[in-house]
Amino acid sequence: MNQYLDLLAYFGIGGAHPGGFALTQSIFEKEKIEPHFSVLDIGCGTGQTASYLTKKFGCSVTAIDINSMMVEKAKKRFVNEGLNIKTVLGDVQKMKFADETFDFVLSESVISFTNIPETLKELVRVLKREGSMIIIEMTAEQPLSNEVREKILELYGVNQVLTEEEWITCLRQAGFTNVKEILTPPFLLPSEIDDIDESEKIPIHFYNLWDEHNDFVEKNNHLVGYRAFKCSLA
Amino acid sequence: MNPADAYNLCNRYHGKMVRIRCNDGTVHVGQITRVDQKMVWINPQSGMGGYGLGWGWGGYGYGPGYGYYRPGFGVGIALGAIVGIGLASAFLW
Repeated sequence: MNQYLDLLAYFGIGGAHPGGFALTQSIFEKEKIEPHFSVLDIGCGTGQTASYLTKKFGCSVTAIDINSMMVEKAKKRFVNEGLNIKTVLGDVQKMKFADETFDFVLSESVISFTNIPETLKELVRVLKREGSMIIIEMTAEQPLSNEVREKILELYGVNQVLTEEEWITCLRQAGFTNVKEILTPPFLLPSEIDDIDESEKIPIHFYNLWDEHNDFVEKNNHLVGYRAFKCSLA
Repeated sequence: MNPADAYNLCNRYHGKMVRIRCNDGTVHVGQITRVDQKMVWINPQSGMGGYGLGWGWGGYGYGPGYGYYRPGFGVGIALGAIVGIGLASAFLW
């Protein structure tokens, strides 16, 4: 399993993606989700965004995550908040949803952790023809050296970091004819970690991994950043 | 969390902004200024976090082992009362 995702699961951190929950909120201040929309939140984590979207728009949200601890924590949140959110343990590269199920898909730093073309193909499959998608994803600011790529693979289990142009190409190739960049803060700003559901015993190596991650971000923030895109098929 | 682990983690995060959760449910957010065998001292950040940060100091001083205020160090929390500690902010993928 992916140690970095396990770290996020053990600490039970909500909004664990570039820009944090603040970016999620600022995006959905402008983005209109209709109450009748069927929304898919991939890599839902502890369910902070799924909960927020349900409460803000009254839409029907399905949340999926590959990490069982995340799914348990998300379910716990939804029960505590009295929300009816379908929560699925599963792999976004191979989902069990029927074709053209969702009006809207959200990926907050999730596709980067998978086989990107495969996941995009799968997302296109489950998205309705008139549907749209927003993604916030790790992005190379320039072509990366082997050394940096190996470190990213080792730390995050991510084996391919696309540049902005490569993201756009990949999204187009998958069938997203409209791809628009959403402007985000240009730096890798720390987000406040205030939505937490930590496990009782967190193995010490996760604290070490977190330190390594911080070091990596500090040293390489000019090389690796993130982008947000809004994409639609039609 | 056993106090030895809490001690080690507090040392690891010395000088950093952390979020400390105690066994009575309170959450403290602040910069670690000092750690000794029994206590960790944090300089509380105002405007962050919900619990335990509403000054006057009356909120402190009741729980077993914490509630000490020492000028320069901030607020003391007994290591034995800590159930969780982590960084208060971070950039995460």
